[in-house]
Amino acid sequence: MTSPLQIELKAVNKYYGNFHALKNIDLAVPSGTFVALVGPSGCGKSTLLRSLAGLEETSGGKMEIAGVDVTDMPPRKRDVAMVFQSYALYPHMTVAQNLTYSLRIQKVAKAELRAAAEKVAASIGLTELLDRYPRELSGGQRQRVAMGRAIIRNPKVFLFDEPLSNLDASLRVQMRKEIRALHDRLGATTVYVTHDQIEAMTMADHVVVLRAGVIEQQASPMTLYERPTSKFVAGFIGSPAMNFIEGKICDNGTSVMLEMAGAPKLDIVQKVTPNMPVTVGIRPEHIRVAPSEECDFSLPVTLIETTGTMSYVSLGTAPELSLMLTDRTVFSVGDNIGLVVDKARIHLFDPKTEQAIT
Amino acid sequence: MRRIMMSVVDGKGFDLILVGAALIFLFLFSGLPLLYNILMSFQEVDMFSLGKFFRPFVGLDNYRALLSQPAFWPIMWNTIVFVTCSIGGQFLVGFSLALFFNLNFVGSTFIRGLFLVSWVMPGLVVGAIWNWILAGDFGVLNYFLENLGIIDEKIFWRSDINYSLWAVIITNIWLGTAFNMILLSVGLAGIPEDVYEAAELDGANAIQRLWTITLPMMRSTIGAVVSLGLIFTLQQFDLFAAITSGGPANSSNVAQYWAWELSFRQYDFAKGAAISTLMIFFVMFAAIVYVRSTKHEVRG
Amino acid sequence: MTSNRIQYTLLGIAVIFALVYLFPLYWMYVTALKSGTEIFAIPPTFVPNEPNWGVFGYVWEVRGMGKFLWNSLVIATGTMIITAGLGTGCAYVLARYRNVWIDVALFLILMLQVLPASLMITPLFVGFSQIGLLNTPRFAVILAVSAKAMPFFVILVRATFMAVPGELEEAALVDGNSRVGAFVSIVLPLAKNGVLVSAILIFMQAFGEFVYSKSIIQDVNLQPASVGLNAFMGPNTIEWNNIMAYATIYVTPILAAFVLLQQRIVAGLTSGALK
Repeated sequence: MTSPLQIELKAVNKYYGNFHALKNIDLAVPSGTFVALVGPSGCGKSTLLRSLAGLEETSGGKMEIAGVDVTDMPPRKRDVAMVFQSYALYPHMTVAQNLTYSLRIQKVAKAELRAAAEKVAASIGLTELLDRYPRELSGGQRQRVAMGRAIIRNPKVFLFDEPLSNLDASLRVQMRKEIRALHDRLGATTVYVTHDQIEAMTMADHVVVLRAGVIEQQASPMTLYERPTSKFVAGFIGSPAMNFIEGKICDNGTSVMLEMAGAPKLDIVQKVTPNMPVTVGIRPEHIRVAPSEECDFSLPVTLIETTGTMSYVSLGTAPELSLMLTDRTVFSVGDNIGLVVDKARIHLFDPKTEQAIT
Repeated sequence: MRRIMMSVVDGKGFDLILVGAALIFLFLFSGLPLLYNILMSFQEVDMFSLGKFFRPFVGLDNYRALLSQPAFWPIMWNTIVFVTCSIGGQFLVGFSLALFFNLNFVGSTFIRGLFLVSWVMPGLVVGAIWNWILAGDFGVLNYFLENLGIIDEKIFWRSDINYSLWAVIITNIWLGTAFNMILLSVGLAGIPEDVYEAAELDGANAIQRLWTITLPMMRSTIGAVVSLGLIFTLQQFDLFAAITSGGPANSSNVAQYWAWELSFRQYDFAKGAAISTLMIFFVMFAAIVYVRSTKHEVRG
Repeated sequence: MTSNRIQYTLLGIAVIFALVYLFPLYWMYVTALKSGTEIFAIPPTFVPNEPNWGVFGYVWEVRGMGKFLWNSLVIATGTMIITAGLGTGCAYVLARYRNVWIDVALFLILMLQVLPASLMITPLFVGFSQIGLLNTPRFAVILAVSAKAMPFFVILVRATFMAVPGELEEAALVDGNSRVGAFVSIVLPLAKNGVLVSAILIFMQAFGEFVYSKSIIQDVNLQPASVGLNAFMGPNTIEWNNIMAYATIYVTPILAAFVLLQQRIVAGLTSGALK
């Protein structure tokens, strides 16, 4: 990461009255990076994005965009473009007028306006729609206009606020690819807010997981998946969610005893203080079905959900374990089946601090 | 200076200017007179001291003088009768019409809207028309009532002290019915159809549905409509000026007309201010009830 | 079939209700067209025997209505300009934020709305006379009526602004516009209809205003039509056909405007008054 920083946040804080919405946010985004802000609703991700746009005043800290301190600048001087969840298309303007709104404010000559609108429209497939009004467009088309309005300005930073949440599932998958392709083509710097971890994982170079106004962890998608630093991140990233089972490290420090029927023991690769209570995290995709003689433990099947390509199987009760199978299941509810866990991919967390044990 | 300009163009300064301009205007021409009114009600004001800023204080003398006038209690009683009967009449007629138009037949919206013409007409014109309708010998209302057998001899609505207040009340009911109906219609339209369907399946008949569904669910709307009615009724002045001028012998005089009469007929501005002050506190009480009922609306 | 019949029966009943309710209006028009003797006929005639169309020209001339209506127009226009000019921005800000201060401001505005004009005229008159505003009586009336009308206007228009999504304005800000620019180019055009309808309502109210004009304007040449009508109706008048002709001339333009804009006015009124 040698490219210069396009966005730099230092100790940004935000209060709403007594509510501390953002707590000491530090973030550095190199030029050309696609950053996703992800977290449950109310975690502060939208507030952070809006602060970056200048739509919210921050209560402390410093924000720089392309080396310029923008902390106290109004939105219009920051040279950022934003795509809103509701798209926020101006209903009294045609598509062409929507696209060129920012250029008209900059007093760009009339002749250039139409050319610019046509160029952008062609690049995102809106050419036929330039003279329509937003109410005459479908959801997907509106989404494209909102993006076009951002592209046309060639801004320093693109901001997206849950742009796909109003689209249906298949369109969402398609737009996901298009937005990422657009980002690469323009060599843009993008900050993308979503509550959907799949969007964050598939689109971003760098994912920031927020929780209650604090950055829980920020890293590349695969690092988040493979080395979550907390139980929260581990449970948030990945679908279906990671299984958590309480357990206790054995006397030898190289295996863990799970607190479930039969008290099975699993070997672990890391060395941990003996007799320490731990929370064991195992992803559903890291459990295999195995013949009873080679299995780590066995559990009764309680539910099988099949999508055709995948089967999601729930086993046991308190704790309930879920696992994911790609091949056709040969067992049914009530069967006791043997399971093998991928030992290298077991995660251990301190039950009190919920931080990963390394 | 630059900071201020920046704030006006980009920040909170813009909001402050917009709100400030209107609020300052309202303060100058509404708030200040209100305070001045209270001040004057404790002063001696006559034609000679009218132009002076400093006038002798007389304490509660103006209020005492008002209360000792023989007309005071009859006029207060008239005010109460006028307000309650106007509101009651407007509400009953308005609510019945609202229920009727809520049946949503072809053209119901348009015809309902036509009722509002009474509301946009100048009060003085409404007063003039009803003055003529209510005339004793040649008024068309007496003609209808006689032909329908309701009355045996003509009622001199405007000049009979037993009827003069009712002449204004009838006119005011006509005037306010439309506004009541429109607001109540909005409330009725807000009750979801499926609630009625559920009640019907539970075996409630039409009258039971009115008592157990419609009225309880309309409670906040009704509260708002009645307190708005109180506010508007206490503002009614034009009809008195156009129909009875408060007479004969104060039989149709009410507080808000009396206040004006004291100031502009008898040039007794101090007493006018005193009665205004009394009434203003009463109106503000109604306004607080109204605000509370609309707050309820938002939450409910 | 039956449901159709019910529909038309209900419509018929509704028309009858409307006719009964609007009878006073009809009576105004009919009386105006009757002769001076026919208005006292017993039983009264419900269609004039010989409609006297000349009455309008006659009343216009004799009562000097041109002057009165011009003054009404001046007062109504002035009131509309001041009210809309100051009230629109105020309504916008009150719609944009949600906090304790806004609630306080809204409450104060509501309180000012409920003050009866006939009670406020005493201090206004004394105050105006002290600062010399009575020398420009029509302007004084415009100020007083605007102060009375503004709270109502603000509450109606605020409801309109609340219907404009806040994200549109934010998009305009991010797109490089200033607060002023975003207000003028995005928010105001989208709230245009509500602002216009409310302004027309204020105009209509001011066009019929009576208390302030009656008390403040002494010069007959500056009085509006409402005061002129009041002067026309002496206690023992018998000129009811002429008075109704005056009323007809005064009120017909307002009624025409109302019927044209009926649906918008009703919608604007209902959205504002209950929220």
